[in-house]
Amino acid sequence: MVKPSSSSSSTSQDALALINSLRSAYSATPTTLKIIDLYVGFAVSTAIIQVVYMALVGSFPFNSFLSGILSCIGTAVLAVCLRIQVNKENKEFKDLAPERAFADFVLCNLVLHLVIMNFLG
Amino acid sequence: MLKLLAFLTLSLPFLTHSFSPDHPTDRRVLVLLDDLAIKSSHSLFFKTLQSRGFELDFKLADDPKIGLQRYGQYTYDALILFSPTVDRFGGSIDLAAILDFVDTGHDLIIAADTNASDLIRQISVECGVDFDEDPSAMVIDHMSYAVSDTEGDHTLIASDDFIKSDVILGSKKIEAPVLFKGIGHTINSENSLVLKVLSASPSAYSANPKSKLSSPPLLIGSAISLVSVVQARNNARVLISGSLSMFSDRFFRSEVQKAGSADKHEKSANEQFLTELSKWVFHERGHLKAVNVRHHKIDEADEPAIYRINDDVEYSVEIYEWHGKSWEPYVADDVQVQFYMMSPYVLKTLSTDKKGHYFTAFKVPDVYGVFQFKVEYDRLGYTSVSLSKQIPVRPFRHNEYDRFIPAAYPYYGAAFTMMTGFFIFTVVHLYNK
Repeated sequence: MVKPSSSSSSTSQDALALINSLRSAYSATPTTLKIIDLYVGFAVSTAIIQVVYMALVGSFPFNSFLSGILSCIGTAVLAVCLRIQVNKENKEFKDLAPERAFADFVLCNLVLHLVIMNFLG
Repeated sequence: MLKLLAFLTLSLPFLTHSFSPDHPTDRRVLVLLDDLAIKSSHSLFFKTLQSRGFELDFKLADDPKIGLQRYGQYTYDALILFSPTVDRFGGSIDLAAILDFVDTGHDLIIAADTNASDLIRQISVECGVDFDEDPSAMVIDHMSYAVSDTEGDHTLIASDDFIKSDVILGSKKIEAPVLFKGIGHTINSENSLVLKVLSASPSAYSANPKSKLSSPPLLIGSAISLVSVVQARNNARVLISGSLSMFSDRFFRSEVQKAGSADKHEKSANEQFLTELSKWVFHERGHLKAVNVRHHKIDEADEPAIYRINDDVEYSVEIYEWHGKSWEPYVADDVQVQFYMMSPYVLKTLSTDKKGHYFTAFKVPDVYGVFQFKVEYDRLGYTSVSLSKQIPVRPFRHNEYDRFIPAAYPYYGAAFTMMTGFFIFTVVHLYNK
């Protein structure tokens, strides 16, 4: 590989190196956490799609829009909380069993979706 | 005998012709005179009334037996006061009785003259008309007097300054001037119900013609009204004239030439003017009635007890004008209906089929509450039409909203996707060990 001469190519080289290191570091993450990350990404992208849709057609059934978007945000937030609690490297929650964390997650989701269904119509 | 009595009692309402909502022209008229000679000296005016079917009852103003009502019922539909000098009426008639008579919707013609009594002035003031306070004053006009053989003092005025209203003065144009000799009056500017029908010319003034003018006259120019009419809020009509002689046969027959004008008219316009005006005062013209006020939803025939917001409503009313003998369709393009709750939410001009039927359709506003359909129609010379009908408007019921809104399908989809996602995630998370 030729040594970069200009500063812009050196910046892109650095960025490439950064991404490569991030990818290698992330590949060491446990599969459980990767699944949670995928789930969060899915929820956030659904929320973004709805915001774009609302900007296009207007905010008429505003309660439906709010419940749609809040269900996505709420799901993402709850999933992130679960991820914090089941992460083995997080010493703060080392006394909390992952089963207990998951039970909390399920209960919160049930409450969230109950509220969302009531507010949707 | 008993049968006959019963028949008479039952048929009595149909035998008497009197003022009624269905037949608004007056029938029985009481004429109060200073002097029975007026009956013959003003016979032409009385004859025009009698030929139109009025029953005139001539009485001296101080006759002790006269009265407007008997057993609480008015025995007359209209009153003509040709008694300018009377200080006290005989019988039970006084200022309050005459005002009550007008307040109950009856009509009145007052002819004052120089030396008009305080009683006549008081009645006029109550109608919104102030006669010149100087008892000997007359309207003098050195520019538009009526030319006569003797030069005179120019108190015989030829006036042609009429109100521009076909309904008050009839559709036929008045060509000749009207002769007037008497006292002038002003109308109270705060009283919107009084109308100047015949005004003096700008060069007229009101003063005593026999004495020299020592100070500027108080009433001058076209502020002086010679003949005025009042239509009260209850549609009672009052005619006030400052001259009794303008009703006389002599003035009716007299030829007239206005000073400074070359054309000489065979006959003054007094007869035409006063006949047309008396038709108006006695409700032979300009009397409107509104019937068959209906409203309903479009495509329905029955009137509902309540409307819902955003309903489509049709409103219709029939308006007729009384023409002395029959009700004719009233034709106008400016009748409006309001859908009113504290302020008009909807104001629409009604369409008409030229046969008296007025109709329109509109959408009930997106506001609920107690509304009124209102028609407030006030036009110069016509009786006022004031209709209001109350109707409540309710919001949508819970089951009247759309269950699913197409625009919200993406949001529904997102919410259910999140639930499915949660379920799949749970399975994956639990079994991925």
